[in-house]
Amino acid sequence: MHYPEPISKLIDSFMKLPGIGPKTAARLAFFVLNMKEDTVLDFAKALVNAKRNLSYCSVCGHITDQDPCYICDDQRRDRSIVCVVQDPKDVIAMEKMKEYTGLYHVLHGSISPMDGIGPEDINIPDLLKRLQDETIKEVILATNPNIEGEATAMYISRLLKPSGIIVTRIAHGLPVGGDLEYADEVTLSKAMEGRREV
Amino acid sequence: MHIEKLHLTNYRNYADLDVSFENKVNLILGENAQGKTNVMESIFVLAMAKSHRTSNDKDLIRWDEEYAKIDGRVKKRNSSIPLELIISKKGKKARANHIEQQKLSQYVGNMNVVMFAPEDLHLVKGSPQVRRRFIDMEIGQVSPVYLHDMSQYQKILQQRNHYLKLLQIKKTSDTAMLDVLTEQLIEYAVKIVGKRFHYLSLLQEWAEPIHSGISRGLETLKIEYISSVNVSESMELSKMKSEFEEKFDKINHREKERGVTLIGPHRDDLVFHVNGRDVQTFGSQGQQRTTALSLKLAEIELIHSEIGEYPILLLDDVLSELDDYRQSHLLNTIQGKVQTFVTTTSVEGIDHQTLKEASAYYVKQGNLDRVE
Repeated sequence: MHYPEPISKLIDSFMKLPGIGPKTAARLAFFVLNMKEDTVLDFAKALVNAKRNLSYCSVCGHITDQDPCYICDDQRRDRSIVCVVQDPKDVIAMEKMKEYTGLYHVLHGSISPMDGIGPEDINIPDLLKRLQDETIKEVILATNPNIEGEATAMYISRLLKPSGIIVTRIAHGLPVGGDLEYADEVTLSKAMEGRREV
Repeated sequence: MHIEKLHLTNYRNYADLDVSFENKVNLILGENAQGKTNVMESIFVLAMAKSHRTSNDKDLIRWDEEYAKIDGRVKKRNSSIPLELIISKKGKKARANHIEQQKLSQYVGNMNVVMFAPEDLHLVKGSPQVRRRFIDMEIGQVSPVYLHDMSQYQKILQQRNHYLKLLQIKKTSDTAMLDVLTEQLIEYAVKIVGKRFHYLSLLQEWAEPIHSGISRGLETLKIEYISSVNVSESMELSKMKSEFEEKFDKINHREKERGVTLIGPHRDDLVFHVNGRDVQTFGSQGQQRTTALSLKLAEIELIHSEIGEYPILLLDDVLSELDDYRQSHLLNTIQGKVQTFVTTTSVEGIDHQTLKEASAYYVKQGNLDRVE
């Protein structure tokens, strides 16, 4: 049996989203058919608007509807610290903390020669340009704690060494509020390596 | 520890096999090409989440089927847990005690096995790869962190080789990135080499008396780790690190020319000395076999001392490869304490108490029946 063309197109569109397979896509598509027309129109508009009205901040690379973004534009923030992250989602995660008042720089990826991503393919050249401004005193490297994220952090720290800017790397180890017994061996061994005197 | 139950679904030539085993020697009998080794392999895969025969997991799935499943129940000193491994074309999923394990490196180690197959007799004579696999499998079973370090090392190695290729064909000239990858590689290389030194010295402690026993006190076995870098067992990790850095510096030019990483644990090797002479070059066939056997028996003892229980021993078609004296030495060692699976086409000519007390199973075309 074939679906009528409009619905199979809709199913195909849903399948372009991450984590959605053919079955979920079909379920969502049939759900849309039963929705009110206004709701569907709002939905479609929201999709298009998100794409059209959002762009990347020309300073830090975060997603934004104004340029520079609200973080870069906020004069109360500490302009001497820049936190380097891989993804706009990481900025959101950091902001939830409400403790960090410095600026950000979004790389949009990590260096991975195997996947053909070199240092110049992510937002590193812009970072270097930004750091020529002398107000920046510290760069915090908050890339992911995996092989590629580590390599990216090490690469940036090497580039910045001659400049005299303080470069720091966020700590990794046990999650706060968790029980020691539930941590896996690898996380525990990392936490042991990073132990410090109290 | 011992395996109580094994259930195979769509595994190799078994559509559906459900069998219970006792904690003693289990003989798997049958003609050639009926599926004896497949049973052994399935127990090995359940423990290690990979096969000793193939690196392609799809080979394990029965012809024309979507997935293969191995269920087992392993009894340890004070617990009995179910293990489950599903192999599909998309990948592997492992459950220990009904809980899905996100990392296979954490799953491995729930059940410990030692496999002894005819290929293992080539441990001494074969390529360095065979010996590296031996040491990696052995350490991996007792140290999950080692497995993790090993897989990180492989990933960095791939990245680094890729980057060296780019430098070789002059697609990039930025050597800062190469330095970063080298630093990362060294970090894990040092951990791996350090662990290998540690466990090899433990293995040596067990292997020496065993080897002396098999050779009637005539031979002394020594294991030596041959690294591409000038490192030794007593060296601190920080010193090892600087040795690696120096060596990488020295060969920097050659690596860029060749476009591949030339040193590191992935190129290291083991050398076995009997009475001070390298067995690989100067040993007789018999000495090489004795060495392989001593190492396997030492592995059993090492696992026992590390985790407090004997592993499950899989002897695949190997009894017939050993002479009477070595056979009985092997069977004496395992008698009454190690659950052992033995495949063979016939037990004629093997006269040993251990085999007389064994339970026997007969394999025919994907079926396994208990023989009384």
